[in-house]
Amino acid sequence: MRRRNIIAAAVLIALSVGYGMLTSQLPVRSLPDTPGPPFFPWLNTAILLALSLGLLAQGVFGAGDAAPVSADIAARRRGGLLLGAFVAYLLVLPGLGFVVATIPFFAALMILFGERRPVAVSAGAVAMTLFLYVLFRHGFGVFLPRGVLAGLLGGLFG
Amino acid sequence: MSPDVLSGFAQAAGPLVLLTNCVGVVLGLIVGMIPGLTISTGIIVLLPVTFVLPPEIAIALLLGVYVGGMTGGSFSAVLLNIPGTPSASATAMDGYPMALRGEAGRALGIAITASFIGGMASFLCLYLIAPVLADVALEFRAEDMFALVFFGLTIICSFAARSLVKGLLSGAVGLAIVTIGQDPVMGTPRFTFGDVNLMAGVHFLTALIGLFAIPQLVSNLHDGSGTVGLAQRRLTSILPRLADLRAIRVPVSIGALTGSFLGILPGAGGPIAAFISYDYARKASKHPERFGSGAVEGVAAPESANNAVTGGALIPMMTLGIPGDPVTAILIGALIIHGLAPGPLMFIQRGDFAYGLIFSFFWANIFNFLIALAALRLLVRVLATPRALLMPTVAVLCVIGSYALRNNFFDVHVMLFFGFVGLAMRWLDMPVVPLLLALVLGSALEENLRVALTASKGDVAIFFSSPISVAFLALSVLSIAWSLHSGRRARPSENAANKETSA
Repeated sequence: MRRRNIIAAAVLIALSVGYGMLTSQLPVRSLPDTPGPPFFPWLNTAILLALSLGLLAQGVFGAGDAAPVSADIAARRRGGLLLGAFVAYLLVLPGLGFVVATIPFFAALMILFGERRPVAVSAGAVAMTLFLYVLFRHGFGVFLPRGVLAGLLGGLFG
Repeated sequence: MSPDVLSGFAQAAGPLVLLTNCVGVVLGLIVGMIPGLTISTGIIVLLPVTFVLPPEIAIALLLGVYVGGMTGGSFSAVLLNIPGTPSASATAMDGYPMALRGEAGRALGIAITASFIGGMASFLCLYLIAPVLADVALEFRAEDMFALVFFGLTIICSFAARSLVKGLLSGAVGLAIVTIGQDPVMGTPRFTFGDVNLMAGVHFLTALIGLFAIPQLVSNLHDGSGTVGLAQRRLTSILPRLADLRAIRVPVSIGALTGSFLGILPGAGGPIAAFISYDYARKASKHPERFGSGAVEGVAAPESANNAVTGGALIPMMTLGIPGDPVTAILIGALIIHGLAPGPLMFIQRGDFAYGLIFSFFWANIFNFLIALAALRLLVRVLATPRALLMPTVAVLCVIGSYALRNNFFDVHVMLFFGFVGLAMRWLDMPVVPLLLALVLGSALEENLRVALTASKGDVAIFFSSPISVAFLALSVLSIAWSLHSGRRARPSENAANKETSA
């Protein structure tokens, strides 16, 4: 845990310095004796830096807390795959549209959460995607992107 | 009794108005339960429908969604550990551990009952003492508001049980995120890197979805034992026992009073009321150590508070035309569309409608209690869905929810970014709640601080010139001292417990 505190402190010190540098570039537009736009960020930079140094001191000199429970390697791999699927999904979603992008994403997540039967995965992914699309696009008025299936979905659901 | 009161009651008790109120409550419960779909979104989506309805029916529908949504948020908070609305964030802290213990029904029964009591208390507030309370709250100046928001932020100390430094750091990171976008006083762009999407800042709800939902999804992936199913299988008695009702008397009262009062203050909405009530219920409890591990008081206080906020927020809206929260801002828009401008004149010119609105709020609370209790088992069937179907649905709902806020993919990317932040914080054992609190309160803190300092030409003595400001600052000091004292008192017992466990 001490190692993690040191890592966290290092990251946060870097963040504080970066935040301070960006704050120094902010335009100073204010009346005399009144706080301008950089006032609050400067205050926060000082707080962030002081607390980060405090955490570093805790990491270096402290006795250390009990380490949090870690997941096993297989579970970590599944977690990584889930996040990877999320990133890939968000990359293709605007271009492909909600239905085309969501079906494989949904199927991938079903497999990750333990469903192995191909028919259940296919049926579940297609049915849930279409249900959510119709519910939100036509029920709640959320403009989910139609993407490459714009013509077909427009003809089917209006 | 004034004829307006009688006409208002008759208007709100009309069959069509009551039916629409019921429909609104059901829709609110559903909207509130879905993570990422907020009450505001639900109401905005329903607005076009209300254009074609008479104003008394339209407002009954919207009030039903408002009240139902507040309670609905607790369902997913308890059952999935993903708050359906920001106001239900505090409920998850004890509701979910109860669900894991097989007491999901008990937790939800308490949440529904506390919501009902909080809602009815705020109805009484709205009906009886609205003008007086609104007058007091609206006399708050910038230094008073700063002191109030600062007082709200001192709750961070209570959520930093393991390490105060980490808790404060989490809050400071939240304050840094809040500074992205146009500054609240002069509108100067800060940390936007020329990106127009960042001009409006980071939307609090996208951050909320990412911080809560993504780590929860990953955690559910790690947990192969099917805890969600466990919570569902053991759903038994929903009606609270007599012992539970006795136990929640004090926390529900704290929640009802805090929520009704904070609801009146612009900006201090459901989440703040819920967290403050939770904190004070814990401090008032004989067993504060049980909070966070499934204490009924920890469910009752925030649920009572967030429903009490609804009535409180209607007070300045109705009497002065000032919204207490985003939902009441939308309600003002809906009323204006119907040619009814909320404000003091509404009580004079359309007193029947004004009291009709108040009584519709009363019925919405009654229906909310009855429908939520009656339909709970039906709604909980969401959890009978296989995890392999439920979790991908939650993931897609998170994406839809963050996209629907502004029909913008940028918000979805921000949501995922905060998901990574949430995971990193979990790995580093840093509490997420302080960051969340800072995101909610940060902008108001900066705005009121700068406005007060501008008014005083930089003299900090201004914060000690007003009795309201001094009172809130004194409460802040007390809150911090109490948290530190409680932390020191809890630490030896925690260590002793750890030694016993290891032995």
